[in-house]
Amino acid sequence: MNSSITRLAGPLVLAGLLAGCSGVSDLTKERVARSETSVQQAQQTVGNSEQGALELQRAKENLDAARKAIKDGKEQPADRYAQLAQLDAELAVSKSQSAAARKAADEVLASIKTLRQEAERPSTSTDSQPRTTEDK
Amino acid sequence: MKPRYNLILAAAASACIAACASAPKSNEELETARAVVPQIEASPRAGVAATNIAEARKALDRANQLAEKNGKDEDIKFEATVASRNAQIANEKILSAMARDEVDKGTAERQTVLAEARAHEAQRNAQQAQTAEERAKALERELADLKGKKTDRGVVVTLGDVLFDTGKATLKPGAYATVERLAAVLKEDASRKVLIEGHTDNVGSDEYNQGLSERRAQSVQAALFERGVEASQISTVGKGETTPVASNDDAAGRQQNRRVELVFQEDRSKVASDTG
Repeated sequence: MNSSITRLAGPLVLAGLLAGCSGVSDLTKERVARSETSVQQAQQTVGNSEQGALELQRAKENLDAARKAIKDGKEQPADRYAQLAQLDAELAVSKSQSAAARKAADEVLASIKTLRQEAERPSTSTDSQPRTTEDK
Repeated sequence: MKPRYNLILAAAASACIAACASAPKSNEELETARAVVPQIEASPRAGVAATNIAEARKALDRANQLAEKNGKDEDIKFEATVASRNAQIANEKILSAMARDEVDKGTAERQTVLAEARAHEAQRNAQQAQTAEERAKALERELADLKGKKTDRGVVVTLGDVLFDTGKATLKPGAYATVERLAAVLKEDASRKVLIEGHTDNVGSDEYNQGLSERRAQSVQAALFERGVEASQISTVGKGETTPVASNDDAAGRQQNRRVELVFQEDRSKVASDTG
């Protein structure tokens, strides 16, 4: 990855340049770009679902703030907003995923409950086939 | 000794609070991070989110150090927020792992319940088979006083020649008690079917014997109808002299051959095949 080269060479080379320059370092610009990608991915994962929507919104706001900080030439705020955008995007994704996992678990538990009820039901009519076998 | 130690601690704490009160207002984000990070570290499933938990701890340590050295409020806030976010991410990952465990466990349990349901169904079928067997036995018991005999065709009750006028199909009053019993047995369970077969000896023409056997079978059928038995439960057939049960060479044997047989069966298809 060229980012590792940049990461090593960047601080050394740029340190001098940045001293007098009001621009934001490539390192921070890269971090903002990575956060941008993460937010886009989070958007896809969360979609229109409720779980993670709040965190996704916060990620977008942090990303906007990071972009603005780049424009204003503010190094540290840009870096920090990018980090927070990254974290909120990750949180949005993990919230969405855990909600899906919870739903799947609840469905399994509910199906077991239904199965149990059918299995324990006393035999009333001879022609009632247990519905339990069809969804296997 | 211990209570006194606690008192000293309390005094020290209150002194600290007093000192801190004059310091810049306590950072809300830091308080949150101090509460949530140890909580997530203590989770039994912390292993599934080790990286996030480590990041949370590092950020919280940085925030605490900044707070100790009277660092800038916004710096403390940033580090505390990083700590909290990582703790939250870790929490969601742990919740996911727990839910997946439940799915795995539930899927296995579901198999068990399914197996139980199948066993239950098998048991139910066995009970039904037993019920059919019991019904057949009950029928046999009820027909025992009519000298019902269990054969591979079903339970057979024989009405002897003496219950008919000679050469005629009319039932004698002496047959009424038997017919009453037969009607009662059939009415008790509408699923019971009976095939009524008329038989004769070999005296007289085949044609005559065939006709007589048919009429005698129909005569019994009519008597059962009169007593309220459903038409669907009864079928009749005349067998003439084709199926003797004794020798036609002597009077006693011929008398045995002149008879009406009632074949009781649970299974209609077998009755039907016998008529053909």
